[in-house]
Amino acid sequence: MTEQPRRRFIRAPRILSRSGEQVAVRRIRWLLGIYGLLIAIVFAQLISIQVVDADDYADRSLRQRERTIALPAVRGRIYDRDGDVLATSVDGATIYADPRAYRPGETADGTPVPAAAAASEVAATLAPIMDRDPAELEARLEQDAHFVYLGRQLDWSVGEQIDALDLPGVAVLREPKRIYPGSALAAQVVGFTGIDGDGLQGMEAQYDGILRGRPGTLLLERAPGGLDITSGIRELTPSTVGTDLVLTLDRDVQHAAEVAASSAVDGFDANAATVVVLEVATGDVLAMASSPGYDPNAREQDDQDAWRNRAITDVFEPGSTQKALTIAAAIEEGIVTADTTMEVPDQVRVASSTFRDLYPTDEPTMTVGDIMERSSNVGTIQIAQELGDQRLDHYLRAFGYGSPTGSGFPGEASGMLMPHEDWWSTARPPIAIGHGAADSLLQLAGSYATLANDGRSVAPRVIRGTIGDDGRLEPVAARGGQQVVSPTTARQVQQLLERVVSGDRGTGSLAAVPGYTAAGKTGTARKPATDGPGYSDEYVATFAGFAPAHDPEIVVAVMVDEPTPYYGGLVAAPIFREVMEAALIARRVAPDGSATTLPAAMDHARAQALADAEAAQASLDEDPPPHGPAGAPLTPTATETGD
Amino acid sequence: MTATTVSPLRRERVRPAAPKARPDLRVVGEPRPRHTLAYALVLVVLVGAAVFGAVSLNALGAAASVEARTLDAEVRAAERDYAMLVAEVASLEDPGRIRSAALDLGMVPAGPARVLVLERNLPADGVVAEALHGDLGTDPLKPLLSAER
Repeated sequence: MTEQPRRRFIRAPRILSRSGEQVAVRRIRWLLGIYGLLIAIVFAQLISIQVVDADDYADRSLRQRERTIALPAVRGRIYDRDGDVLATSVDGATIYADPRAYRPGETADGTPVPAAAAASEVAATLAPIMDRDPAELEARLEQDAHFVYLGRQLDWSVGEQIDALDLPGVAVLREPKRIYPGSALAAQVVGFTGIDGDGLQGMEAQYDGILRGRPGTLLLERAPGGLDITSGIRELTPSTVGTDLVLTLDRDVQHAAEVAASSAVDGFDANAATVVVLEVATGDVLAMASSPGYDPNAREQDDQDAWRNRAITDVFEPGSTQKALTIAAAIEEGIVTADTTMEVPDQVRVASSTFRDLYPTDEPTMTVGDIMERSSNVGTIQIAQELGDQRLDHYLRAFGYGSPTGSGFPGEASGMLMPHEDWWSTARPPIAIGHGAADSLLQLAGSYATLANDGRSVAPRVIRGTIGDDGRLEPVAARGGQQVVSPTTARQVQQLLERVVSGDRGTGSLAAVPGYTAAGKTGTARKPATDGPGYSDEYVATFAGFAPAHDPEIVVAVMVDEPTPYYGGLVAAPIFREVMEAALIARRVAPDGSATTLPAAMDHARAQALADAEAAQASLDEDPPPHGPAGAPLTPTATETGD
Repeated sequence: MTATTVSPLRRERVRPAAPKARPDLRVVGEPRPRHTLAYALVLVVLVGAAVFGAVSLNALGAAASVEARTLDAEVRAAERDYAMLVAEVASLEDPGRIRSAALDLGMVPAGPARVLVLERNLPADGVVAEALHGDLGTDPLKPLLSAER
């Protein structure tokens, strides 16, 4: 402590003793030192930025420049079995607006900014192009929001028109739009998607996971003005197109089934009609039609009840169509054969219930073939009494009752068949003739496909496969069936069912298909009451059958809900014929029935044409019109008349 | 201040060196003139070429990028047109639309079908079969659903 004053005393004379040059050198050294220090600081900062924190700064910079653009995936198409498009996606135009453009505002520094345009004028311009109400559009444009949709998934041409107008605050966005080219064709099977492309109904919902694909991204760098930096990053992760789905439906057969179902509803004043067409060998569902239908392109206008695929979701008591299964079980168990003769009274009493035939006959005996042909309740119940509860229950379940078919369609009903242990004392007779048990039309068609397939069960399927990357079909594995009844039994039942259509007293004569042999069974069943136990006064008319009868290829099942009249032979059988004829021709099935030769057909056609001409001539002779459309006389000249 | 202290090292440095042997002398040519300006020009040209090349490559890259983007937009538009044409074809092929159009044209639904049994094959049968199995029968808009298609 005592040294400090002495050192100051010593240094003072040294400073005083320095020359001017030395002072300058010393000052330069100080400045160099300071500059060196500053350079060191700058250099250290440089190292910090360029080396230590380089990645962080690079990331910050990139985040400011880079933009990630989502690339929506194109949803897979849905085809019918021949590759005809049932559902596809196209570009749609979504119109949106920033309502702030239509009201005055101010910038951050308080400078007033006038409205870019009047909302009413913009709405009036857009309304005719978008086919919307101008008042509705104006109300949207005047909302207190930064973003409003004016219209979504409109036609792309609409978007192009609006884009060309360059309206302030209005922009067009590309968005995938799902369309169904066939409109109502197979609508209940194909289903539909929502506004955001999610499958909501039918196959669109069931196979949404493989149809929707995977969205991609485009990463690029953009300048503050929004322009792309051409030499910057451009990383494309392409979207994956959804997998195309191939259904088993045949578009032509589906259309024929829908026309027939619709005509049944109109012609018989029915509540609804449903038709299922199956291919016997594969179980492929060629058609599944329900009427009333709907157009998935404009489903807002239709009743939601029409969205339902009734062939899958609705169950009903099959009525007499089930007698074929009861008799098949009895034949398989050796209780009867097709030629067995039985005494069939007018009525049969089981426990406290009495069952009668609708049209009793005077003949005391009937063969099993007669029982089937005339749809005898009493005869079938007598056979079922021999069969017993357990075996009847076993065979009905083997034919597919009481469990879903596994067709791959969402919401499939299982049907209703109580375990035989729970059957009450009088349950067996009604179940034997198709009451007290319920199934879907697809289950009924499947059971007849089993009979047509020589007793081997057929699992109905709606999905044929998917389209692979090479554009070829990747078929789904077919499910194996089980032998329900022997081929011998099945062929006996096929012959019995053929009698129903072609027999003199057959109840299904209206189901006969020209040129082919057909087999099937009518059914008429009262509907259970909805407000209590018992049955209502409404009926369900059904028909299920196959053709050609001797080598079945196609099964058609028809159900008409609450028709007038209500007999299956009058209502459902003609629909069967209409649909079966279209299906056989569409699937190019060779005729096996009453085919004629070409000369005979030509003779017939010639005779028919001559008769028509004579009738027309007679009509003209009776009431000749004064002049033709151009004022010329309508009497044929000598050169116009033929022989 | 007049006294000078000299270190031994300093003393050695000021000591006169011992005389060396005379080196061999030879005649040399006139030194080559240095082309400083040429070097500078070459350097400028090289730098200029490098800069020009870099700028040109960047410009070419930008032009190619713009062209790629244009092509990308054209591809997107073509894909959009293709998708819409596929939908339009499917819509035009719809059996319901064809039926409706036929009725509008005055056609009537066909009567009951009559099936003919041909006593011999028609001459055109083979031709039809070939057309169906050849390229003419292939619809480019449809996926290959089987080996026959």
